[in-house]
This record gives sequence, C-alpha cells and structure tokens, in this order.
Amino acid sequence: MKCYNCGTQLNAGVVCPGCGMNVRIYKKIIMASNAYYNVGLEKANVRDLSGAIDSLKISLRFNKMNTDARNLLGLVYFEMGETVLALTEWVLSKNYQPEDNRASHYLDQIQHNKGSLDAINQTIKKYNQALLYCKQNSRDLAIIQLKKVLALNPKLVAGHQLLALLYIQEGKFDLAKKSLRNAGKIDVNNKLTLRYLKEANIGLREQNPNRKPKNEELISYQSGNETIIQPKYLKDTSAFGTIVNMVIGIIIGVAITSFLVVPGVRSVAQSAAKAEVLEANNTISSKNQTIASLEAQIEMLSGQITDMQLDGENTVSQVNSYDQLLYAYLKYEEGDMDIAGDALGTVDEEHLSENALQIYKTIYAKVNEAYLESLYTDGYLAYSEARYEEAIENLKKAVDLDETYQNGAALYYLAQAYRKNNDLESAKPYYQKVIELYPDTERAANAKRYVQQ
Amino acid sequence: MINFEEELKNFKPSLEVEEAEQAIYNHELVDMTDMMQEMLREFKQEMQMSGREA
Repeated sequence: MKCYNCGTQLNAGVVCPGCGMNVRIYKKIIMASNAYYNVGLEKANVRDLSGAIDSLKISLRFNKMNTDARNLLGLVYFEMGETVLALTEWVLSKNYQPEDNRASHYLDQIQHNKGSLDAINQTIKKYNQALLYCKQNSRDLAIIQLKKVLALNPKLVAGHQLLALLYIQEGKFDLAKKSLRNAGKIDVNNKLTLRYLKEANIGLREQNPNRKPKNEELISYQSGNETIIQPKYLKDTSAFGTIVNMVIGIIIGVAITSFLVVPGVRSVAQSAAKAEVLEANNTISSKNQTIASLEAQIEMLSGQITDMQLDGENTVSQVNSYDQLLYAYLKYEEGDMDIAGDALGTVDEEHLSENALQIYKTIYAKVNEAYLESLYTDGYLAYSEARYEEAIENLKKAVDLDETYQNGAALYYLAQAYRKNNDLESAKPYYQKVIELYPDTERAANAKRYVQQ
Repeated sequence: MINFEEELKNFKPSLEVEEAEQAIYNHELVDMTDMMQEMLREFKQEMQMSGREA
C-alpha cells in the first residue's frame, strides 16, 4: 500500500513515513475496497455475475486503483456478453497500472483476433436493432433478430432476457422458460431472470390448470449450479446395482459367445484349414509331377552329353588316325621305316575313309615289309649279343605283325629271348606256337623240350 | 404481472466497439480517496481563512 499523497510505501503505522500525512482513514478505505473485491470474487466463483458486478463496482468506488477488482469486473462483463464494457474496464486498469497487469493479456487476446472482435460488434449491432424492433412493436422481427444474435453470442444475458420477455408477451411461456434457463446458466442469481421465470411459471400454470402440481410427481434439487428435476419414484442407481447389472451383462455376453459365436467361428476355421490342406496336397502333387518330368529331362540330356562326348572322342580318334597316317607317309618318304611303322600301328582303320584306307594299305604293305625286316634284324642282333630285353621288344613287334616271318624264326627267337631272360612262362606260349606251326622241324623239337621243363 | 413497455425501458442498448472510446472518457473516476483528499483540501482552506479572520 502506497501513500496517496507522496507515493511512499506505508508501514503499519497511521502516519506516512514519507510525507507525514495521517493515513488512518485512507487505510480503512483501502481495506473496504479489498473486502468488497473479495465478496465480488466469491460471487463470481458461484456464477452470481450480477451480484459480483455490484460488489466490484462498490470496491472501485472505494479505490479506483484496485486493479484486481477492475480486471475481474471486466471479466464478468465479458462473460455476460458485454464486450465493450469489459474493454473499457481493462483499458482503465492498464492506464492505472501499465506494468505487470493481467489486463494487458486480456486486451491482446481480443485485439489479435480481429475477426472475433468484428463478429462481436455485429452481434451488438443486431441486439440493438432487435431492441429497436421491440420499441417499434415489431415483436416477430425482434424475436428473429434475437435468435440470430444468441446463435452468434450465446452468452449475452440481456439477449436471453429480452427474448424471454417477448415470449412472455406472446404467451409462449415454455419458450420463455427455456430462454431464461439459458440466462440462468450464465448468471445464476440475476434478479431480472428470476422475476421473469416466476412470471413464466405463473403463466404456464394458468395455461394448464388441470395439470397436477409438479411437486407431487417430481423432485427438484440443486446440484452445484444446476437444478436437477426427476420423477419422485425414480430409483437412484447405486454402485451395488451397477455392479450387479454389469455382472449379469457379462454372464449373458459369455453365454452368447460360447453357444452362438464360438461354434460358428470354429467351423469356419475348420473349413478354412481343410481347404488349405487340400490346396497344399494339390500343390505337392503338381510339384512331384514337375520333379519327375525334370528328372526325365536330366536323364535325356545326360545321355545326349554322353553321346556327344563319345562323338567327340571318336572325332578326336579319327583326327588322330589321319594325323598318324600322314606322319607315317612322311616318314616312309624319308626312308625311316621304323618310325613310319610305329605311326601306322596307332592308326585305326575304322576311322579312315575309303581313299585313306587305300593309302594306308599301300603304305602299310611297303613299310611293313621293310619294317618287319628291320625289326627282325635288330631283334636277332640284340639276341645274339645277349641283349634279351631289346631283343624281346623288337622280335615281339615282328611277331605281332607276322608270326610266320622267316618261317617262324622270329617266333622261335622271341621265345628263346624270354627263356634266356629267365621268363620261361612268357616263352612257353611262343614255343607252343612254333610246335603248332612248324611241327617237324628242329626248332619244334627244341621247343617241345623247353615247354616240358 | 409484467408490463412489457415498462420492462422494455430497463433494457438499454449495448455499447458498440466504436463507442468504447467515448465510454472510457465518460467513465466516472472519482473514488473515496479522491473525495477524502478533496474534503481535506477544503478543510485546510477553511482553516486558513478562519485563521486570517482571527
């Protein structure tokens, strides 16, 4: 609290510490203002807005600088739909206390939303127009206009009251009551609302005299800000009753589920499972068929590969035969009969064409003869010089070509070479041949003797 | 019984936004403190005048 004279912060004493003025009465004025502010605040809390306005106005009469009271008064006006009055109070509040004032926030809220402010202004103009219609006795127009206003600004208490007045004048007491109830929701203890409500009730009773009094059938009581009206014999639902109803509902639900829903769901599930099993079986059998056909394809292709490999081998063998034939011919022309003979030995006659075969036979005959002679000569020389292994090699080739060469001499000396090389078992077949082919010869007699050893 | 015309007189037109400025200017801003100060000033003046006469 500051001194009204010098602005110094006052202490508990009755004299200002700054200017020395007696502030006892001033303090009483301030306390009175605060007391009325508190009353106004209490009334505003219980929605007695008109009562709050009266208290707050008195508070401000005591102390115009009571910022809280002024801000609250603005709020109450705003809640009742009197926006301009609310703005007025907040502007004055901000003027008296520019810093740290809640009114700044309220003004910012309204000023930043220009569309809303325009809409409020329009509703005020329409309300004033409706009032003018009333004074001009155009009650129907006034009712229409007021309905529009209240649709836009349902908090305008004066609008509800004026509409109720018009309905009362028209004899529509039920509509009047409805309008007054709406006004009562905003401003509970408004004297005008209560008076009109009383008039509307009287009017309704006069309209329906045969109707039983309400209080025989109905009970009404206040619950907070609302009036609860209910039939007299209505049972109040207790917690126990609610729980019992819930349990019964749960039991019924479980029974319905188990006897109606579950079997159906189960059969659907079983059908679905069977269908899936069938589909799976079909899939397996088709896959098996596919596998079998693929296996057959694999077998066929393997056979083709084998055939092609054989063909390939035959082709290679064929090429090799031709190659060796050419090589043999070359060596024959050079006079190297041994090599030509070896080459001819590797040629496969089946792979040769007719012309090639003829060439082969021609060369073979000529080479063979010289070759044979060469083999026999070398073999015999080696035998004579006790080089039995070399002798065996050459004489065997000669015998393979012609076992009757030199009247069996190659055959005989081959056997001899084996025997002298300590391989009598290998010699015996050749001795046996000498015996068979040349039975009455000296060589045959010798062979018989060696065979019996 | 409600007299419609009489009741209608109780309803005053609501202030429009354009009238807000005028409403602020016309607002009564005298409170008890101002009245007390005014009374004290008058009392002082009377005291001074009676002191001169004496």
